[in-house]
Amino acid sequence: MPLYETDPAWADVTPIELDDGGPSPLVAIAYSDDYAEAMSYLRAVMAADEMSERALALTEDLIQMNPAHYTVWLYRARILTAISADLSAELTWLNSIALRHLKNYQIWHHRQTLVDRLGSADGEQAFLRSMLDQDAKNYHVWSYRQWLVRRFALWADDSGELASIEELLNEDVLNNSAWNHRWFLVFGREGQEEGYKVLDETVERELAFAKAAVRKEPQNQSPWNYIRGLLRQTKRPLAEMKDFASEFAALDRPDEVRSSHALDLLADIFADEESNAGQAKVALAMLATKFDPIRASYWQYRKSLLPSKEAPAA
Amino acid sequence: MPQPRASEPSTPTTRLAELLGASRIEEMSDSETQAGGTDDGAAEAEVVAPPEPVINELFTTPPKIRVQVETKTSKEQAKTVDECLERLTDRSGRARNSHGLQRLRKAKHNEFLHDALGDYPGKFVLMDASRPWLLYWSLSGIALLGSTDITDFEDRLADTVTPCQNRDGGFGGGHGQISHLAASYAIVLALVIVGGDEGFNLIDRRAMWHWLGAMKQSDGGFTLCHGGEEDVRGAYCALVMLSILDLPLELPPEAPARQSGMTSLLDGLLEWISKCQTYEGGLAGAPGCEAHGAYTFCGLAALCILGEPHATINKSLDVPSLVAWLSSRQHAPEGGFAGRTNKLVDGCYSHWVGGCWALVEAAVHGPVSAPTAAPPPRLWSREGLATYILQCCQNAQGGLKDKPSKNPDAYHTNYNICGLSAAQHRYAYCPSQEPDMEGNLKAGFSWVMMAEGEREEEGRVFDDEDRVGAINPVYVVPVGRAERARRFFESKRGF
Repeated sequence: MPLYETDPAWADVTPIELDDGGPSPLVAIAYSDDYAEAMSYLRAVMAADEMSERALALTEDLIQMNPAHYTVWLYRARILTAISADLSAELTWLNSIALRHLKNYQIWHHRQTLVDRLGSADGEQAFLRSMLDQDAKNYHVWSYRQWLVRRFALWADDSGELASIEELLNEDVLNNSAWNHRWFLVFGREGQEEGYKVLDETVERELAFAKAAVRKEPQNQSPWNYIRGLLRQTKRPLAEMKDFASEFAALDRPDEVRSSHALDLLADIFADEESNAGQAKVALAMLATKFDPIRASYWQYRKSLLPSKEAPAA
Repeated sequence: MPQPRASEPSTPTTRLAELLGASRIEEMSDSETQAGGTDDGAAEAEVVAPPEPVINELFTTPPKIRVQVETKTSKEQAKTVDECLERLTDRSGRARNSHGLQRLRKAKHNEFLHDALGDYPGKFVLMDASRPWLLYWSLSGIALLGSTDITDFEDRLADTVTPCQNRDGGFGGGHGQISHLAASYAIVLALVIVGGDEGFNLIDRRAMWHWLGAMKQSDGGFTLCHGGEEDVRGAYCALVMLSILDLPLELPPEAPARQSGMTSLLDGLLEWISKCQTYEGGLAGAPGCEAHGAYTFCGLAALCILGEPHATINKSLDVPSLVAWLSSRQHAPEGGFAGRTNKLVDGCYSHWVGGCWALVEAAVHGPVSAPTAAPPPRLWSREGLATYILQCCQNAQGGLKDKPSKNPDAYHTNYNICGLSAAQHRYAYCPSQEPDMEGNLKAGFSWVMMAEGEREEEGRVFDDEDRVGAINPVYVVPVGRAERARRFFESKRGF
């Protein structure tokens, strides 16, 4: 049943019919009459670049039928600005859609546009928490959250961000998205603010946090990556971690190895030491043959980078 | 992708996959549990099972060290290992190759992709902005399977994409949809795969150049559309079009980025991509986000268009941590790749991570002077990847998928096939290749396929019947197609 054709409010618009591409288009969708009609009116108002309440209503109609329609969302965002619409009301409307379409990208981008213009992050952390409760590793949600932190400078330890991350990691210490956000909270500001430098004590706190996480689960790669990242970022030698890594893997006690990542780190630490290429080789061989054999080619490559035995000891 | 998995313009792929899966359960139910199922080819029921189980023990037994802590992540991982082990240890009488793995069901997959190009009922309206992707995934997969003359699609493809092009440049997801870099990329590559003057000539290159200029950002990257997001897919998609269509690199006069002092479409791009590398070693969609397989591929391939891989990758990225991160994505016993740390294997990363290796190996090993050089050892397990794809990702009724418990779709079918191709071919960067090409951004066309030589049998778990075509590892289209398109546009007089 035509909705727009018979509506006097749309009488002045000549719809633009769909051109689906020749007599036998590929990937052709048999659109419902309602969708096809609404789209033909959308093409018409977009061609005229119309910024109006009725165009806004049309976008809502289309979003209900196809929330994955990037064109409609972006057009809607432009209309909202042009007609100075109530953005708080828009955000409330958006929340109801977001909960139904968790993995829809457009919704997050739209949210970013709205919150940016509203100029306030109020309520966003609670909302994010409820979204992450459903899907704790959703890439769109985390990308949005990083934008939010930058936009509203939520860097401070008491901004609620760090506490939220600790809560998430407490629930699932293997959640790498949460680890990445933690890194972002600590180091993201360095690239953002001229002259800002992460304090040594903050780095120590982070090292302690990651070590505690490793003790909780030694085979969790996330905190090992975090530790390596911290050392690289602050230009500290890997050797600082020798005793720690040895708690989880010792070359002379292969039956007690509790973490392939510890062994991996030890291999790098031995490789950096002047006369320990031999031990590095042992660690890499243990990884290749027993503890992480799917990566045997990589461990072999690492071995090929070690200084050869013949090198004269200076 | 994208999980962005590089699957927008409109829908994250998971959404699309769910959609395709959910709506097609009846017609494409997975009959894997029926012994002797309905695999393609009647003769296969007669095939004598190999005398001994030959799948490498690495893929049939749990890992030596397992995560002990019980969380949502560890439970999901354990469940995935279980469902894969069930497949990897399955000794039922299904058609097997000489290595004890299921054969590649080429005919069924080909049929599945032809269906994906066909008609859809109204409930598939959620794909309305993703039709360009379905064109690319399906045509790419069909071309690599090699049993259909892909030029048969020339006219219909040209007709289908014509209404997607906008006067101001670029292609959208359909008629009346605004131009989007991912849609433009998918359409241009579909045209490149199919070939033909009609398709090439319909692309308005001048308008495309202007539009790309409008997408250029003052920080060096590209947004995917007007008012849209900026991420590393934008950089890759823009570079693919700039190089294949042989467009000028000068920033159009009206481009907003000129106000920031930029004069070239490439200004600041290498630096922007390098900022996407995270503390873990892989690349994220944008600076600050989490390292992810699909974005890592986009970033590496972009660098391989910007210049020679050993120069651009080594210059802009920390290669040891990159290689370590990529390597960590391969799981045992599953054999396949996951997209992020502590995430699950998924057949689409067969390409997104599997496809990174040719690029990163070229950076690590350097260029070759001729295709005849003996290739150095791989940095990863092609055996694991081929095992995962053949044994865990094939749907009995056709199509490939994420993991055994999922349904197939065109996205996973194409990227599993691309991943299998990566396990079956070696490539190297060879600067003496394509020496007569003129103009800018030629590096992506100087790749050669290498003979495996003495490594031919190393980790080879497929037969000749399981082979798929070779690709250009930077553009991810069948070998020779990107080069042919570039020559076509290079030969155009004027612009």
